[in-house]
Amino acid sequence: MTSLFLLVGALMLMLSILLSPLSNRVGMPVLLLFLGVGMLAGEDGIGHIQFDDFETAFLVGNLALAVILLDGGMRTRGETFRVGLRPALLLATIGVLVTALITGLAAMLIFDLPLIDALLAGTIVSSTDAAAVFALLQGRGLNLNARVGATLEIESGSNDPMAIFLTLVLIELITLGEAASLWSAPLMLIQQFGIGVLCGWLGGRLLVFLINRVDLVTALYPLLVTASGLVIFAGTNALGGSGFLAIYLAGVLLGNHRVRMMPAILQVHDGLAWLAQLCLFLILGLLVDPSELLVIAPAGLLLAAVLILLARPMATFGTLWPFRFNLRETSFIAWTGLRGAVPIVLALFPVMAGIEQAPLLFNIAFVIVLVSLVIQGTSLAPVARLLKLEVPGHEEAHRRIPIDVPAVGEHELLLFRLQGERWTRPAPLGGLRLPPDSGIAAVFRDGSYLPPLAETCLQDGDLIAVVGRPDQIDTLGHQFNAPHGPKHLAEMAFFGEFVLNGEALLSDVEQAYGIRIGEEDKQQTLSACIARHQHGHPVVGDSLMLGPVTLVVKEIEGDSVTRVGLKLH
Amino acid sequence: MYLHELLTPPLTLCNLDGGSKKRVLETASKIIAEHTEGLAAEDIFSGLIGRERLGSTGIGSGIAIPHCRLDNASQAIGMLIKLVEPIDFDAIDNQPVDLLCLLLVPSEASDEHLQTLAMLAELFSRQDVLSALRDTSTDQQLYDTALRLAEA
Repeated sequence: MTSLFLLVGALMLMLSILLSPLSNRVGMPVLLLFLGVGMLAGEDGIGHIQFDDFETAFLVGNLALAVILLDGGMRTRGETFRVGLRPALLLATIGVLVTALITGLAAMLIFDLPLIDALLAGTIVSSTDAAAVFALLQGRGLNLNARVGATLEIESGSNDPMAIFLTLVLIELITLGEAASLWSAPLMLIQQFGIGVLCGWLGGRLLVFLINRVDLVTALYPLLVTASGLVIFAGTNALGGSGFLAIYLAGVLLGNHRVRMMPAILQVHDGLAWLAQLCLFLILGLLVDPSELLVIAPAGLLLAAVLILLARPMATFGTLWPFRFNLRETSFIAWTGLRGAVPIVLALFPVMAGIEQAPLLFNIAFVIVLVSLVIQGTSLAPVARLLKLEVPGHEEAHRRIPIDVPAVGEHELLLFRLQGERWTRPAPLGGLRLPPDSGIAAVFRDGSYLPPLAETCLQDGDLIAVVGRPDQIDTLGHQFNAPHGPKHLAEMAFFGEFVLNGEALLSDVEQAYGIRIGEEDKQQTLSACIARHQHGHPVVGDSLMLGPVTLVVKEIEGDSVTRVGLKLH
Repeated sequence: MYLHELLTPPLTLCNLDGGSKKRVLETASKIIAEHTEGLAAEDIFSGLIGRERLGSTGIGSGIAIPHCRLDNASQAIGMLIKLVEPIDFDAIDNQPVDLLCLLLVPSEASDEHLQTLAMLAELFSRQDVLSALRDTSTDQQLYDTALRLAEA
């Protein structure tokens, strides 16, 4: 029996992995595909597998979400907190509450449920899903304006505690049948957030310290991170805090500190996060009875429409107005209320608590997640393009190899492949200008090593090894990677033909190009002018029309703009 | 405005000795002043240097497009230079520059000149154009190649 179970499970995993390239081709979120495979294998599908083990699903769900949040946290850049933290926190708290209320009230009317059960239904689907958002935003081709990207990312990583907390309160209300616990609700919220933040922060700091102190086999560093992350997750839960928040926060701390073997850790966790998503969605697909879904499908669709078209936009516009995001940005955030595994896992809570309406709530959650993944998931990239929120991506190294000796500091070995027209004319190494604190270590041609001497000529097809810091990868990439036609052109089309210093005065730009710039104070710098138009927090890609030309923020340090693209038409 | 309206053979120089960013702009200013009535080398130079202060006109891949407006210019003037040795130009990609295309425009009619400037930037961001220009060895060859590529 066990071996058969293993065989079927492994086959499903294999099938899903092999099918995953398909999702890119048809523009469907890969998570939906995993869910589909699970449903196909399930009792109404061709696999006819009877799987009703909610407890196992609950366990797998929690574990998988924790791993996904850890990975997502490590990939959340600290500097994104500058523009994304405050809006995300409002969305993650008040936004979730508003979404839950509106969706709950709609559920009461649509499904004719008692108010409290309806609110529970609304709450279950109220938080956006980290797995789905990370999968779409982090390194999968869609490069959003940092204000929008950061807000969505941090929101999805930090809004689960609110949804879980509301779910727990409502379940308590239903099972105890009295309002006695209501007064303790705010206390519980503070406890969930407080202990979660504290444990996540402390745990993260400790983990950074630990990794940099112990000597292990290389392969064990990533696993140490996984294990410790889960300790933080489970430990926080045991203390009554939000484990999800804690592990996300620990991940963020880890990803933004100097940690040895970080590239290896990230690489392994990328795989682990994929595995977690696979298992999670496969098992959720198995758990559901598609025939039961069909029964509530029309009503479920209606509720999904209310959530997507009314509740989420109201929550977004209602909470984001103090930050003065522009209409396109706010609209996109409103549209990207992606629901994924979290609502389904949350829907398992009532099942475990033995609430009467639990099966219905589970199916409602499932329908809404399906609709959200299909409609919002597939339209995300086109909508971002339509709303002009994409910015050109960063350059990458062909391979990054950590050196992992304290004496070298942050330096890594970065490999670049020289390809394309730029390298058809041999270029002597001596003519290259590398960023300070970096250098060429070796040149490889057809498997043989060439010493990096000034007279060594680089040519098409060479592989070069550069010693440099992670923050120099973009600069080095610009230098060595092929300016692959469309992308390079896209960059010029996006940032404009010329680059100005952020410190240049508006009056000087006016003078140099003979343009009349409206009402602005002429004696301010470009940086100050743009920052003022963006209410203090400019991001790369922000633009400002000045007469016939457009200024586009190209580079940023903190809140000041260092380089500005000048677009002539 | 097309490249053939801007560029003249006397102002197309292959294998010029650059020296430094300042030196090459100085040399170019002198040569332009010699060939253009009513323009003083100092005015051209200070105009070009003033523009560079706002941000380098080195747009990457070894090409720079220094430009400025001049009160005394009666028409737009272009100049194309290929240097013997690449020089530092604070270009946006930090790479040394060996090709320069200068543009001087009259103070008025700025909209049209913004378009001209954009056209030049687009032309010289093409890798095939840069490679072809680097393969030339005489002034005439550089001039012919530039005009041919601008039409393509």
